[in-house]
Amino acid sequence: MNETEIIQKLQQGNEPAFKELVETYQKLVVNTCFGLVQNTEDAEDIAQEVFIEVFRSIQNFRADAKLSTWLYRIAVNRSLNHIRDNKRSKWFQSFDDVVKGKTLLLNHYASENLGAELENMQRATILHEAIGLLPENQKTAFTLNKYEDLSYKEIAEIMDTSVASVESLIHRAKTGLQKKLYTCYKKKCF
Amino acid sequence: MNCKTLHTKIIFFTEGSLPAREMEEIKIHLENCSNCAAFANEMKKTLAVIENENTPQLNPFFYTRVKARLENRVEEEKVIRRSPVLVRILQPAMFSLLLLAGIYTGIKIGQPAKISSDVPVFSENEVVPYFNEMETEAIENFLME
Repeated sequence: MNETEIIQKLQQGNEPAFKELVETYQKLVVNTCFGLVQNTEDAEDIAQEVFIEVFRSIQNFRADAKLSTWLYRIAVNRSLNHIRDNKRSKWFQSFDDVVKGKTLLLNHYASENLGAELENMQRATILHEAIGLLPENQKTAFTLNKYEDLSYKEIAEIMDTSVASVESLIHRAKTGLQKKLYTCYKKKCF
Repeated sequence: MNCKTLHTKIIFFTEGSLPAREMEEIKIHLENCSNCAAFANEMKKTLAVIENENTPQLNPFFYTRVKARLENRVEEEKVIRRSPVLVRILQPAMFSLLLLAGIYTGIKIGQPAKISSDVPVFSENEVVPYFNEMETEAIENFLME
């Protein structure tokens, strides 16, 4: 079944078409959500909501747009909303506090000979926290580029902006990330 | 190239997206500076985490969960649709009435009691007569019997 057929059948309420849609785009949606929320369970939860929204609003879908672009947009919006909701509870925690708190826990396990695996977990934690502290639009552009390997043109389409803006957003995201990681490196978070 | 300049370009060096001349300069600097080399190495390892996360394990029960969640939503909506008068009108109306009654009671309790009399009446005059039997039964009556 191609994209147009899936959309047509979905608009008729066809269940196998919905199953095919979910199976085809599951990785894309989960990966996008994960890139933004940096948590597997949350990413899956949001991805489920994305597919429910697609199923419910497929009647309003314009045939000229790409289904994947639409899915990316919903996934990004839902993930950013999730981050905003979560942010309120983390308001008073600084980057260093968060990283130190998590690395302390990891160091505790690392001391029990779990070695390289935990070292990677520690790096992942630091990286996730640093990405999480980027401004929303930089984070979105960076995530779509790094986690989904999308071109600047595709990202511009999803974010409804120009290619030049995407280029600038990604450049600023990388510079910001580098700065945060260097600060952390100096403070021996690694 | 000094260490400070290098720290602003290390992420682009790791990606290999710098011009050839700058790439070469950084390579030479890293060969001679162990601190920067250690940071560059750490940066490379940290950024490599993204590559590993690019291929997450797909949950085989994902569709089943989406379907179950969708069905639950439909059920919840049916329940709401079945009793729209109760849910949308009666419940809010009842809560509003209760709230108003609460406010009214609160205001009434908070107000000082009004005494409608021209003669100034003190609180002790209002209470004392019930305990003061002298007014109703004079002491002489005991002595006369």
